[in-house]
Amino acid sequence: MSIPVLICDDSALARKQVKKSLPQGWDIDVSMVTNGREAIDYLRANRVGIMFLDLTMPEIDGIGVLEINKAEKLVDFVVVVSADIQPDMKKKVESLGALAFINKPVSTDKLNNILKDYGLL
Amino acid sequence: MNITELNSFVVQQINSGVVIIDAEYNIDLINHFVVLHGGVKKEQAKGQNLFSLFPELPEHWLKRKLQSVFTLNTPAFSSWEQRQYIFKMPHSRPITTTNDFMAQNCTILPIVEKGEVKQACIIIEDATDVCYYQQQLNVAMNKLEKSNQTDGLTQVANRRYWEERCIIEFDTAQRHDRPLSLMLFDLDKFKNINDTFGHRGGDQVLVELAAKIKDLLRSADLIGRYGGEEFGIICPNTGGKGAAELSERIRKEVQMHKIMFEGQAIFVTLSIGVIEISDQYKSYEEMLSRADMALYQSKREGRNRVTLYKA
Amino acid sequence: MNITLSEDQRDCLQELINVAMGQASDKLARYLETFVHLDVPYIELVGSDTLPLLFAQKYNGSSVSVVSQGFYGNDGIRGESLLVYRRDNAKEVASLLGYEPEEANENEQLADISSILTTTFLNGLAELISNQMSYSAPRLISSLNTSLDSHLEQLSFNWELALKVDISYQVTDYSFNCDMILLIPGEAIQNIQSVLDRILEEY
Repeated sequence: MSIPVLICDDSALARKQVKKSLPQGWDIDVSMVTNGREAIDYLRANRVGIMFLDLTMPEIDGIGVLEINKAEKLVDFVVVVSADIQPDMKKKVESLGALAFINKPVSTDKLNNILKDYGLL
Repeated sequence: MNITELNSFVVQQINSGVVIIDAEYNIDLINHFVVLHGGVKKEQAKGQNLFSLFPELPEHWLKRKLQSVFTLNTPAFSSWEQRQYIFKMPHSRPITTTNDFMAQNCTILPIVEKGEVKQACIIIEDATDVCYYQQQLNVAMNKLEKSNQTDGLTQVANRRYWEERCIIEFDTAQRHDRPLSLMLFDLDKFKNINDTFGHRGGDQVLVELAAKIKDLLRSADLIGRYGGEEFGIICPNTGGKGAAELSERIRKEVQMHKIMFEGQAIFVTLSIGVIEISDQYKSYEEMLSRADMALYQSKREGRNRVTLYKA
Repeated sequence: MNITLSEDQRDCLQELINVAMGQASDKLARYLETFVHLDVPYIELVGSDTLPLLFAQKYNGSSVSVVSQGFYGNDGIRGESLLVYRRDNAKEVASLLGYEPEEANENEQLADISSILTTTFLNGLAELISNQMSYSAPRLISSLNTSLDSHLEQLSFNWELALKVDISYQVTDYSFNCDMILLIPGEAIQNIQSVLDRILEEY
């Protein structure tokens, strides 16, 4: 059975970049949403194996999504993909239960390394 | 010559300074310009610390600047307009310029190797000419500004500038709730002086009186020539009582002052109107027109006197 | 010249700018040894002739400091960056740099921090689009008692279009806002558009 993957970013380019950087031949089923509100709605209605999450977004931002997810346990694996890459921000998302942090721009190598680290590949 | 030799030729001979240092501020390269103007020997320079070879460099400041180049991988700049020079060097125009040292525009460029800034290249451009012409221009502009503000005959403020200052002082006084007084005065029977001594005589009276009164004022006060024989004085931070006292002193001094013209003594008197600021005035013009009323009251009551406007 | 960005181009440019800004903030935080928070910059392409009006409204006659700096990259990408500070902000901005008070005057510090903001950001942006930038020295074109609109009016003669990037920096202990405006001539905008299209094709 393929793994359901959710990509959440307000930028179309960023969503495409994440999708294109996902490893070839990985059995996945990709869905995309464009802000934190949509992400929460989607997560409440669907089972998701891994979510790639941007931080700076309208409606509900990435931090907001992490907070709700921490309370409701909607998805286990969250990888934050962010332009805001300062150490303080990394600490903050990790404390909110994010699995890993990828500095934008995302690349196949960066993604592969993280997925391997967590045994997802 | 091959390309490497040509590059090195240009770097050495170009009429700008080139200094390359590593992250520990040790010198890797200096060019002929720096050797020549910096008064250092090329053979001493290599490997030596930048700040010991040039002890007059602003060390703390320059290090902070170099840090930005090394940590951010960005260029840094210094302009003669903000800092006349970084490297203290004599310039080649000793006579025409007022500055003792070469004015410089400096650029510091990061040199990247394998993704890391390993060295920094300091380029020193001689901006002494620009600096010199800019200074000349500033001097000329200042003179021009001054002459635009000055009455040609009496050398006190002209009417335009005096009124400009009135606006500023009026606004300041209102905003900070401070006192302000204005005086207007007129030479009594000036037409008689012109008729008796001619216009040259009249002019001399105006010139001498303006200078005499200017001497009696405090540094913050401003006298201006308002019309032919009419003058105004702005007295910031001064209430009506103080301004009336000053007016009275001026009136007395002028009355006793003897002006000599072609062997003849001329005595003149002043009629003065004084007004102090109050909340009811919306503009300095309202003050001026009331000062004018006070001045005419002085005239009506027999001249050679001071009237403080009373609402 | 009438150039508009397509929705895809706009999205692409916005994302590139966000990433470049994020990188710049991280570098700045390390250099200034303080946490730099950056709001998502808002970008807008405007005719340069509308700039004087836009800024007259925004700054409403309060005195401002403007630092200008030229940038030149490959593929005909070039322009001029303006950083606009409210005058009462300028002192705090300057004090971030870590110079001793008597070491550098306010104008020099303002030129310095502006150059650092501009070049750190544009270097990052250039890298994202596989380009490389050179810069002219920063110039303080306006300070106390000069109005921004008259400067912008002069500038708008030279530039047809402006990419307005509203940046708001917040730094621990201080918060300051400044506007970054990238003035870009029409043909350089077209060059940027082809770069954006190239990136869009890759994904």
